[in-house]
Amino acid sequence: MQRSRIFVLAMAVILLLSLGLAPALAQDCEGEVIELEFMNWWGAHREALMDTLIGHFEAENPCIRVINQVQPWDNRAELLATAAASSNPPGIIMSTRPETYQFALSGLIIPIDAYVEAEGTDISVFYDGEIGLQYWNGELYGLPMPTAGLISPLYFYNKNMLRDAGFDPESPPTTWQEMEEVARALTVADAMGVEVLGTNLGSNGDAFVFWLYTNNGKYSSDDGRTLLFNSAEGVETLEWMVNFTNEINGGIENMTDFFQDTNFSQGDHPFFDDALAILHINSAAFGHLNNVAPDLYWDTDSWGVMIRPYNGENPDAKHTGVTGYNFVGAWAYTIPAAHPPEKQAAAYKFAEFIGVHELGGCAFLFAQSRPSPVKACNENPDYYEINPYWDKVKEALAVDAPVQITPVQGQLAEILTNSVEEAFFGVKSAEDALNDAHAEMQALLDEFWAEFDANNM
Amino acid sequence: MHASIDAKRDNETAWKVRLQEWWFRNRALIGYAFIFPWFAGFIIFDAMPFIYNLYLSFTDYQIGTVGTPPWIGIENYTEIFTDDKLFGKSMFNTLYYLGYSVPLRLIFAFSIALILNLRVRGMELYRTLFYVPSVVPLVAATVIFAGFLNTRYGFLNQFLVLIGAAPVRWLSSPDAIKPSLILLSLWGFGAQMIIFLAGLQGIPEDLYEAAAIDGGTGWHRLFYITLPLMTPTIFFNLLIGLIDGFQVFEQVFILIGTHGGPLQAGLVYMLHVYNKAFRDFEFGYAAALSVVLFLIIFVLTVMLVYTSNRWVFYGDAQDDET
Repeated sequence: MQRSRIFVLAMAVILLLSLGLAPALAQDCEGEVIELEFMNWWGAHREALMDTLIGHFEAENPCIRVINQVQPWDNRAELLATAAASSNPPGIIMSTRPETYQFALSGLIIPIDAYVEAEGTDISVFYDGEIGLQYWNGELYGLPMPTAGLISPLYFYNKNMLRDAGFDPESPPTTWQEMEEVARALTVADAMGVEVLGTNLGSNGDAFVFWLYTNNGKYSSDDGRTLLFNSAEGVETLEWMVNFTNEINGGIENMTDFFQDTNFSQGDHPFFDDALAILHINSAAFGHLNNVAPDLYWDTDSWGVMIRPYNGENPDAKHTGVTGYNFVGAWAYTIPAAHPPEKQAAAYKFAEFIGVHELGGCAFLFAQSRPSPVKACNENPDYYEINPYWDKVKEALAVDAPVQITPVQGQLAEILTNSVEEAFFGVKSAEDALNDAHAEMQALLDEFWAEFDANNM
Repeated sequence: MHASIDAKRDNETAWKVRLQEWWFRNRALIGYAFIFPWFAGFIIFDAMPFIYNLYLSFTDYQIGTVGTPPWIGIENYTEIFTDDKLFGKSMFNTLYYLGYSVPLRLIFAFSIALILNLRVRGMELYRTLFYVPSVVPLVAATVIFAGFLNTRYGFLNQFLVLIGAAPVRWLSSPDAIKPSLILLSLWGFGAQMIIFLAGLQGIPEDLYEAAAIDGGTGWHRLFYITLPLMTPTIFFNLLIGLIDGFQVFEQVFILIGTHGGPLQAGLVYMLHVYNKAFRDFEFGYAAALSVVLFLIIFVLTVMLVYTSNRWVFYGDAQDDET
């Protein structure tokens, strides 16, 4: 009896509170509430985190209601293209750098320089390399979050496997040659393919560019008009990748098979089964590892983090990461041109909150143990409490180098990937593959710039 | 007074008669009313997009084009046939896929239909079991198939190793990608099987009885009765299979992604169209590629229909001619 009274009383209090709070929240906005559809690809596993961010934003901006539209990764290209090109696009869109450039070139999104000035947003809080990637043709189109950096410069390694093979787990490979030695010692293959893998270098255009920079090579000139990847360093890099993959890993097909149907973010990956010693992966992996294997995450005797090895035989080579090259990384929040100014202004407020606010991207990324494109956020000492390798993260951020690209990057990257694959499958030599790719890509790039220059004369 | 009432009644009767006559003359309207929903759907969702697509194929329509896209005449078509390396590659891959998958699926579906046409106890259950894979959504079927094709753990390779054969790198070798896609295409044989089964059940029993009396074996019955009488059904399934095969997309997209697998050995035509539209945002060019595909399918269909007179046996038509 007593219990039922308490229960009824509690229900009544909850009801009164909810009735009382709802109007109170609604009353905070004295004008019209603007609804902002937020099209993003943060995934269902981060939806609650993003909802928290949105909650903080709405508390500060009661007249803006953000609708968190988490999109499925499948069919992403067509979802994004049709949404952006429609007459009623989302209020704000999460897009990658090549997409941002394509939309900017097409006039689908607006530059935000005027808002930055009007709102007094201090964009110097970002790393230069991060905010710099969001400019196209001298205009700023989005504020970055997460980092474009830390896509390539880190690797995770299995200390137990190194220890068992007689290597010092506290001194993981820092050069190509040391990594080769570890991989040769650890890789086990049979007729069905690889059973235990030292490491996979990757076999597409992205992987080639990542390794190219660790051999003191460059993808393109600083103005983005000339492609430079078929240099002597480029040929040496691709030859090394092909030879490594063929001699140590048994060929590119072994690598495709080894990683088929695996997913690191879901914990279904050879790294968790002591079947992969060195994994080249981006900084999102910290959050995934903590999420799917928290015990392992805190067991720093079992795994470690190191900076991507460089070519120890090239005196000019050093640890280098690549930012903004292609699809992954360099995300920003862009504002469609199709909306009225008040909605665009609301979208900018949200983009600014995501970008620079402490409770925005800063807190969102902190919760995932990954770095922010805002310098001050990464100085938070609490990062050391949630990321056992925070020093390495900061070290890796310092070695990232931006790459200049254009709106036709998607097509260029596809051509490069095809040629790199031809080298891996032995259809062409590394040199011929790169030269052929260069000729085709440079022609496409020249065509783009010719049209661009003609339209902007 | 009576005269006016009679006149009114006469008028009403005449009006009713006229209405009945009009209705009788135009009784086809009820048929049109029934087909109207389909017809409206066809106009709105097929014909209009087709015409608009045809128009776009002559323009440089790109994402974000505001207003009328610039007219560039046949430039897109010229580029397809002169500059586009992936046009030839994707067309070859598609034709290879068609060349194997269509006949194999026809043979497979027809063979299963023949078995399921036997008079065996519990046949309804067997028919259901064989049809079940066809009602599995394509996405789910493809994901399941990807598991089957796994080099190390997949069912197919485990089976090959069991019988002493070498494992195949189904999804990682450029040579095996197209056979993998062809294998996957067999999964959806159920629809064709049902059509074949319906056709088989329409063959008069007395023809088989007559053949049996004349000493015809099972093979004789198959080759001299079943196959000739099934040619209209085979023709229909062949036509639909070809049209479907040219447009193969979803399973390839799921199985090997937009790149088309190693060395783009699985880059089928529709994947190329997809990439042009949604990766490169060249919608005008993608529209032109679609028109080219339409023309190829159209010409092939016309050719098939034209040549069908020589090998498709329509019983009634033969009777009329005699």
